[in-house]
Amino acid sequence: MADLLVEIGAEEIPAGFVPVALEQLERDLAKALDDARLGHGEVKAAGTPRRLAVWARDVAPKQGDARTEAFGPPVTQAFDAEGKPTQAALGFAKSQGVDVAALERKQTPKGERVAVTRIEKGRKAEQVLPALVERLIAGLRFRKSMRSRHDDVTFARPVRWIVALHGGRPLKVRFGEVVSGSVTYGHRFKAPKAIRLTGKPEDYVAKLQKAFVVVDPVARRALVEREVAKAAKAAGGRALENPGLVDEVTNLVEFPTGIPGEFEKQNLDLPAEVVISEMRSHQRYFAVVDGAGKLKNRFVAVAGTPVKDPKVARHGYERVLRARLADARFFFEEDKKRKLRDRIEALGRRTYQAKLGSELDRTNRMAAVASALARALGKEALVADVVEVARLAKTDLTTGMVGEFPELQGIMGAHYARIEGMKLEIADGIEDHYRPVGATGELPRGDLGALVGLADRLHQLVGIVGVGEKATGAADPFGLRRAAIGILRLLLDRGYHLSLAAAVEETLNALAGVKLAQDRAVVAEQVLDFVRGRLRAQWSEEFPSDLVEAVLAAGFDDVVDARQRLEALAEVKARPDFVPLALAFKRVANIQEKAGGPGAARVDPALLRDEAERRLLAELERVEAEAVSFRQHRNYPAVLKNVATLEPAVAQFFDDVLVMAEEPALRANRLGLMRRVASLFADVADFRKIQAELPPQAQQPQA
Amino acid sequence: MYFQDLILKLQSYWASRNCILAQGYDQEVGAGTMNPATYLRVLGPEPWNVAYVEPSRRPADGRFGENPNRLYQHHQFQVILKPNPPDVQEIYLGSLKAIGIDPLEHDLRFVEDDWESPTLGAWGLGWEVWCDGMEITQYTYFQQAGGFEVRPVAAELTYGLERIAMYLQDVENVFDVEWVKGVKYREVFHRNEVEMSEYSFRASDPKMLFGLFDTYEAECKRLIGLKLPLPAYDYCLKCSHAFNNLDARGAISVTERAAYIGRVRALAHECAKGYLDSRETLGFPLLPAAQRKKAVEAARAAREAREAR
Repeated sequence: MADLLVEIGAEEIPAGFVPVALEQLERDLAKALDDARLGHGEVKAAGTPRRLAVWARDVAPKQGDARTEAFGPPVTQAFDAEGKPTQAALGFAKSQGVDVAALERKQTPKGERVAVTRIEKGRKAEQVLPALVERLIAGLRFRKSMRSRHDDVTFARPVRWIVALHGGRPLKVRFGEVVSGSVTYGHRFKAPKAIRLTGKPEDYVAKLQKAFVVVDPVARRALVEREVAKAAKAAGGRALENPGLVDEVTNLVEFPTGIPGEFEKQNLDLPAEVVISEMRSHQRYFAVVDGAGKLKNRFVAVAGTPVKDPKVARHGYERVLRARLADARFFFEEDKKRKLRDRIEALGRRTYQAKLGSELDRTNRMAAVASALARALGKEALVADVVEVARLAKTDLTTGMVGEFPELQGIMGAHYARIEGMKLEIADGIEDHYRPVGATGELPRGDLGALVGLADRLHQLVGIVGVGEKATGAADPFGLRRAAIGILRLLLDRGYHLSLAAAVEETLNALAGVKLAQDRAVVAEQVLDFVRGRLRAQWSEEFPSDLVEAVLAAGFDDVVDARQRLEALAEVKARPDFVPLALAFKRVANIQEKAGGPGAARVDPALLRDEAERRLLAELERVEAEAVSFRQHRNYPAVLKNVATLEPAVAQFFDDVLVMAEEPALRANRLGLMRRVASLFADVADFRKIQAELPPQAQQPQA
Repeated sequence: MYFQDLILKLQSYWASRNCILAQGYDQEVGAGTMNPATYLRVLGPEPWNVAYVEPSRRPADGRFGENPNRLYQHHQFQVILKPNPPDVQEIYLGSLKAIGIDPLEHDLRFVEDDWESPTLGAWGLGWEVWCDGMEITQYTYFQQAGGFEVRPVAAELTYGLERIAMYLQDVENVFDVEWVKGVKYREVFHRNEVEMSEYSFRASDPKMLFGLFDTYEAECKRLIGLKLPLPAYDYCLKCSHAFNNLDARGAISVTERAAYIGRVRALAHECAKGYLDSRETLGFPLLPAAQRKKAVEAARAAREAREAR
């Protein structure tokens, strides 16, 4: 049993590529060994921007034997009456390269057939491994890759060396112009000399550690965190938490050293987000805050080399940041010279989307849709502010600061709005209309941001679908999924009982000047279908999918209402009497469907012949009366529990009464009764979609 | 280290690595990449190692000499190594040592940067090289130029001379850089910044520039037709500069912008094609004699395949 160690030494691989490549190496090596029938122990990858390594412990010295069976024609066709092989058998034997006498007979699900069994003897690991490792390296995929010199092979950046050792013995592996060996190299500047490896993972990790390379990304990440915390403490504060930046920095360096620095205090007048963005996006510095979370004029940079005198590097870091902050201040002062309101016109010169027009068109439509939504919610008083927020929402796209830092869109608009002395709600609305960012991002603080955000996303979704673009597969180039998820989160968070169909109609009205790729009605249907798809996907993560289907089938125009029905249904489903109830309602719904629409009549008590019929009507009237107030308050658990009390009467009815009676008047009357029962829950859920079965012993024969 | 000493040190370093010391091109370019010593020479199979200072004009970057970091014209030190040697990074780091940047004293990093020039139909992958957080070099492995694969791959090293000088002299304003003892950058170039910014943003005549663009474009096409790719490329560069002037003047709308870039790219592509054909006709004289015949055959096959499409 011997360990396999592979290291690909490369010029600096982009930080974002490293974890993806390591994951692939680990997965691919394990699979390649399994496929090659080479037993092995733990498979683990480790790496830095300058090396991608993977090892497998205890690789078996030899492949397992492979046994393959090939099946030919049925025995009945393979031999004639005298037991001699037929043409079919001869052909099969020939195709398998064996003598016809070597054919065996094997029982298969399709009867007895002739067959050939082959045992492929396992080869020695060292014979199999070189090609396996070559495929492993050549199979690595990067988001972007390049050719290095003369050859055609591509990699994230040029490969400079390869280590491939099996039980300490070198395997001959080639990638492009590079041939493998058994030496690696340490830190580019601190330990550039060749280091001979034994091939043991422990030896590899330890020797690199001595050579200023922390090769295990988990250990290196922890070290980055420690270094940053230590340097931030030395700077008199703590580092502002930023896991994304820790991840990135971890894969920018082989040996992290935290170095604290400082900038001129007057820069703290700038919005904190600006200072943080300057440090983070351009320089990969960590911001430092005081005990109360307030930004300090300090930062922490993570050096890639443990430099002789940190003061030298620190001086450089500070110089760069000073120039950056001077730029930011310039943008900030310039931006303030023009009011947001005076920037609206400039939006007309920015294209939003070729077929949907300019950013100004977009904001005008957002204003129209957002005010319609406010009215639909009975929030007339908000309309003026909603329009104001919508018209200003995108104006910061024309500022120098957002040009420099796109991630500050909305945030800068809010700053400038406050500086201009606008109402706080307006400023918050400008910032919040971008919320939520992603499926877990923060939500708007008030109605203004929520309504304008809804309008923005409706315009995006309806507009983009309207001009004929689609989200396909995993790709979502126009952000349609994000828009739909945003709409749903906003509606649910704010508890807005809005009609989706009406909102889509309003958006289509606002889009009146745009040439649609399809009829309005078709666009609306596609949009609602798309939203339904998102709802199904999202809710199925929380609830059984049959319940989600049942609720969606009863309508999702009011998403908040649909959600309440779903929660109620899930609650009621947990009760022991749910199964008979569901079965009874399924039957009601099925009979309804079978009879079709026009068969049912208004229920005429005079035509009720049976005791069970009369009892059902009486119970029905009671439940209908009781349910009114529950429905008004959307108290769906109560509605369902209330409707459930009807179950014995329904069951009795099905036992005693034949719905599809010969006599047309009786039949119509009974169907009418069924229709009334069905309408009790038709707008709550479609019970036919629910999977509910009685335990086998209790199953009753079907009537 | 004076500004001119920085240039001298880099030149002698790269000269000692057997680079041809060339000069900046004698007409307006936005970057050293546009110099035919890079853009055309990276094409085809021939080796090419060159170093030169390129005065690079970017009309939209002018700040009337008022911004300490931004200039209408800055100086790039450009190095092309084709094919790039396997230890190209180490050689590059040696050049930093030569100008006094010791990697054990400074935090040197190679930070991902993908380079693309839409006007040249060129792209490559590489890094920004950071010294203590400041970008000092753009380092690119050319993959394509003029829409053609760069094969063998050329490494392009572009040093930002003003930034490096500011860092080495520890000054915060580019105009305070000492060019030579007793003469500052201000004395050499400040007035140039003022006048060129005034021209780019206010005084240029868009109507004339639009006219020039069309004239240069027509001339470039005519010369391509005459199989004179080198003078044709001069007119392609003139188009590019006319476009940059119009762009700085705000005379080109966002939607028109892409179309103008596309027109320059089309010219650059035709020049590249013409240049490749002419090198093939010459038999790729920079290749070792033993490799020429095979290279010519391969180029012909590639050309015929292209033409068949």
